[in-house]
Amino acid sequence: MRAALRRFLRRLSLAVTCIAGAVIAGLWLTPYDPAAADFLDRLSPPTAQHWAGTDHLGRDIATRLLHGGLWSLGLSLTITAFGLVTGTLIGIIAAQSGRIGDFAIMRVTDSFFAFPELVAAVAVAGIFGPSTVNLVIALMIVSWMKFTRLARTLALTTSKQDFVTQARLNGLSQARILLVHILPNILPSILVLGTNSWSRTILAISGLSFLGFGVQPPQSEWGAMLLDGKPYMQSAPHLMIFPGLTVLISVLAINLAGDRLRDLLAPQSM
Amino acid sequence: MLSVDNLTVRTQGKTLVQGVSLTVQPGQMLCIIGESGAGKSTVIKALQGLMPGTCDHFRFDPIGLDLKGALPDMVGLPNTRWVMQDPLAALDPRFRLGRSVAESLHRLNLPVDERLSRVKSALETVELGPEFADRFPTEVSMGQAQRACLARAMIAEPRLIFFDEPLSALDALVQKKIARRMDELRRQTGMAYVVVTHDLGFAATYADHIILLRQGHMEASQTREAFFIRPANAYARALIDAARNLGALPESQVA
Repeated sequence: MRAALRRFLRRLSLAVTCIAGAVIAGLWLTPYDPAAADFLDRLSPPTAQHWAGTDHLGRDIATRLLHGGLWSLGLSLTITAFGLVTGTLIGIIAAQSGRIGDFAIMRVTDSFFAFPELVAAVAVAGIFGPSTVNLVIALMIVSWMKFTRLARTLALTTSKQDFVTQARLNGLSQARILLVHILPNILPSILVLGTNSWSRTILAISGLSFLGFGVQPPQSEWGAMLLDGKPYMQSAPHLMIFPGLTVLISVLAINLAGDRLRDLLAPQSM
Repeated sequence: MLSVDNLTVRTQGKTLVQGVSLTVQPGQMLCIIGESGAGKSTVIKALQGLMPGTCDHFRFDPIGLDLKGALPDMVGLPNTRWVMQDPLAALDPRFRLGRSVAESLHRLNLPVDERLSRVKSALETVELGPEFADRFPTEVSMGQAQRACLARAMIAEPRLIFFDEPLSALDALVQKKIARRMDELRRQTGMAYVVVTHDLGFAATYADHIILLRQGHMEASQTREAFFIRPANAYARALIDAARNLGALPESQVA
């Protein structure tokens, strides 16, 4: 099992390196500026010059997808990482803080759960105005709760395990037990939830940008590109097809990687 | 070495164990037997300070404890250790065996090389080669994992080891080997054992003294010889007969 996991992680890191390399190489090699309009070459279908065609302002769609990818993937990764770290910390604190502390922390978590991601983001955009920063803030505010719930449950069950009792009898401090026994044992499940959360955040960012609450023009972003292409859906469908496919493929890839990770980590028979 | 009078354990208004008294001398093995739910494990948890308990008198010589009332918190003392039933649950799946064994020395703050050499010799005493220090619990057999747990218990040179069904997760041949090794080690080192078991055959072979629990009460507290020849009451008699009919007792104890 351990060997299979190692093989998978090696392949995964290879794949990630290849994709990141291709994106950077693409950005470096492309002759086009993602924001440069060319009105003589509007709405061009895919050609040898423009592999994914051009949009309503004559901008190269492939270049914009690469640029937008950095934003979509980067922002969502940042938001998820924030949620993972904060949520896990809060969850572990809840698990350690006795009946009353645990109750208080978890009820606050539940009340945050009551806000659907989209509503929270729309509310923040409504109050502070639509911008990328506000989008990130809004998604961060609602990103941590599921990690808190999972980390708390796992920390509670792990700390009842025999090996933790042994560590306690051996005189290890509570902090040390958390660090060397509990955290390493709950982290795999949290990382799996993290991959799931990452792909959902990509969708949320794209969805909100599509609605106009997120990343603002002229910055390219997959959801915003879908929005740009909407008026031309009939005449120039490639404006929507390519950003749509990109979102689909990246979310699917992250989900599949997460599923595989879960299969490899799930049985404690590692 | 360890002597407890009239131990009572209550949690959440329920009395789990009442009126249990026991004494163990250095190098002796005390077996606590009884059916599931009789409170056997509760007794040794309470004695280690993992459950709240009270008693009329508590004496533990290695650290000069002599008191009455609430049981002392013995958590983290180097003088006692606990070997559990399921070695795979008792070992962190992410720790190599050597690291798990070495954790027992945490309080002693030894330099690294001394810690390593003590781990190696502790593995040796339970008949595991040094290569086992680098294996994960899932890479060894149950018997080997339980040996590692035994090594973890022994390495800090405790005066008293609690065992909670130490052999029940193992197959018969391994049971016999490990039981024999346990027995040799206590004779060599003078450690005392308190063993919870429902394996009457094990108690009949190795115990010096036997305590029989039933629904939290002490039914019998006798030397091994007396227990098997003149059981204190009908319940003990019935238990011994049942084990004998199943062929679970060694030849010497089959009257």
